[in-house]
Amino acid sequence: MPIVQFAPFSSLVDPNFWHALTNIKIDVLRLDDHTVPVSASYTAGRSIVDRETGNEIALGCNLTVGGEAFQDTPQLPANSISASGVFKNFNTIEEFKAADKTALFNQQTDEIWDSIKKGSTELLTRFLLITFADLKKYKYYFWFSFPAFASKPVWEIDGNWENASSSFTDEALSAIQSSLHQQLRPFFLVKTTSSGVPEIAPVEEYTTFFKDVPPTSRAIGFIDPSAAASNPGWPLRNLLAFLRYHHPTDASDGFRVLRWRDLESASAGTWKSRVGIVRVAGDADKLKPSAVGWEKNAQGKLGPRMADLAPMMDPTRLADQAV
Amino acid sequence: MHAIQQQYWAVRDYLSPVLKESKFKEHGRITPEEFVAAGDFLTYKFAMWSWEKGDPSKLRDYLPADKQYLMTRGVPCLRRATSLAYTDEDEDRERLLSFGDLSSTGNEADEWVETHAGRKANHESENVGEIDDIPDVDDGGDHHGVSQAMGGLSISGGKAAAADEIPDIDDIPDMEEEDLENGDDEATATSKTGVPASGSGVIESSQIEVASGNLLQVRTYDVMITYDKYYQTPRIWLVGYDEKNRTPLTPAQIFQDVSADHAFKTVTIEPFPHSATLQAASVHPCKHASVMKKVIERMNQNVMEQEQKSPLPGKDKDKQKKWMFRKASGNGKDDKAAAAAAAAAAEAEDDGGMKVDYYLVVFLKFIASIVPTIEVDATTSF
Repeated sequence: MPIVQFAPFSSLVDPNFWHALTNIKIDVLRLDDHTVPVSASYTAGRSIVDRETGNEIALGCNLTVGGEAFQDTPQLPANSISASGVFKNFNTIEEFKAADKTALFNQQTDEIWDSIKKGSTELLTRFLLITFADLKKYKYYFWFSFPAFASKPVWEIDGNWENASSSFTDEALSAIQSSLHQQLRPFFLVKTTSSGVPEIAPVEEYTTFFKDVPPTSRAIGFIDPSAAASNPGWPLRNLLAFLRYHHPTDASDGFRVLRWRDLESASAGTWKSRVGIVRVAGDADKLKPSAVGWEKNAQGKLGPRMADLAPMMDPTRLADQAV
Repeated sequence: MHAIQQQYWAVRDYLSPVLKESKFKEHGRITPEEFVAAGDFLTYKFAMWSWEKGDPSKLRDYLPADKQYLMTRGVPCLRRATSLAYTDEDEDRERLLSFGDLSSTGNEADEWVETHAGRKANHESENVGEIDDIPDVDDGGDHHGVSQAMGGLSISGGKAAAADEIPDIDDIPDMEEEDLENGDDEATATSKTGVPASGSGVIESSQIEVASGNLLQVRTYDVMITYDKYYQTPRIWLVGYDEKNRTPLTPAQIFQDVSADHAFKTVTIEPFPHSATLQAASVHPCKHASVMKKVIERMNQNVMEQEQKSPLPGKDKDKQKKWMFRKASGNGKDDKAAAAAAAAAAEAEDDGGMKVDYYLVVFLKFIASIVPTIEVDATTSF
């Protein structure tokens, strides 16, 4: 059986975030380099059809950090899921280089694992962002990490990811869509009742919600930020770790996973969501598994990236290109 | 100098009165109320667009506090406009966007030329916006207007871009830590641009491309529409993201996505009015009103003529109008929007013309001709 391969998050930093970072650094943090809560958002993966070649092109699996990231109650873009994270700014480039990234990372994975043990899905998409801001040169060095637990042995999928319409009727998918429209959830459970109308519940209610429901009528849904046909998005990884921890027997029997991508009303009955049955062999031990998730740079290596905002922020350079 | 100019614009914007009367049929200009109505319609029809509040200190009191401007994120841009080099052959394919029967108006001077319609990029594979993509057009030839613009772009754009191009690798601290994570993680899909990981069971990025259908990294844009009080029209703003680094694009890189006739002329980098600090590329709105007026006039005319010619009830009439409209505006990407606009006009026929709600839908079509490769046209993006 093929291995399930997850599409990692790619961070997309809005220039407004760097402006907000500059302000918070100068006015609030100053030389304080303690961690600060930060928020980001992601939405269902999108793809477009190239007008010239007719190919469908999947857009990146993005996690967007915007200008309101440091606000307590950020205004989310439409149809987005909020992800909380931890932000740490270093005062010098040397400190940034020498940072004990493993310790920072482990601290996050500990917190995520604790919340999994407590039965909460709240922290499953938690992320870590370390930065060094060279405010005089408008250069920002940053490195994201999206901790995800690596399952041993790995998750495997029966066959391939199929279009959701292969296992759900149009009416059922429309019903899921409208209930998600009323309340958007990053993760949800779906139960197809005898009347054919699916019901939705939070993942935390797994045991009661799926009581006496045959496996064929169950599904586990999540908002999928990946539009790639065969790679589900990163959030599924920790969701599966959560499910395996709490429901190990069901995990080896297989979960039907619904990768939900139809947040906007579908045109002409074409559903973009996909469905597949994933399973993992063997028993899960209850210890914290190892985790991965540091973002790779443009060269595909593990390393920090830099945003050079000088062309957009430096007053002298702006004056140069003005007509 | 530029700073003084910006100050002047700010003062002018402050002093100019808020448009009260509806003028959109006469002048192509709209009131703030009409902007809100058109924006409501756009957000209702196309969920990718949403209203934003913006910076509270930059609140415009003539617009509702929670509806200051419209925004859509992550609009893909597959190719560089500059890679669409303009040749003689293309000139033959120029289309007049008349929004009506030519015969019926008889005024060809007003037609609006669409230049980048249905053309193939001549650097099919090079959608990454290398500086080399800018075509070398030394021969002024017979259509020197365009060539000169292109030539000018390749000089100034090339220079600026070379300086602004991805920062020196030396600038980024050398802290690659491949051993940060123990070995390769076989359940991670390899990054699209990345070097294929060597662990067992990991398929290479090239294979992913095959498997999931041409997975590419593309430039994306955040697009904002604000209301310009002085020109009394919507105004469009662009913030771009690099395809590999996903860092903000430099002005020179953004100009690669603007059609050559508009780069450095109608498209400039300005401070975004609803943020204290953000700078964004913007299409100058001085001609928006007159273009919009023409487009709206044509649409209304078309609809009214249809009504006179074929007083059929209900759906048939609607269908025919769409078809007539399509004939006028050509095929390809305009189809859907044109049809939608025509249908919109048809729906609105009782009021004797297009409803102002459709103003922004039409406006986006017009913007699409300035930034041909950015898929701002809401009706065809998905």
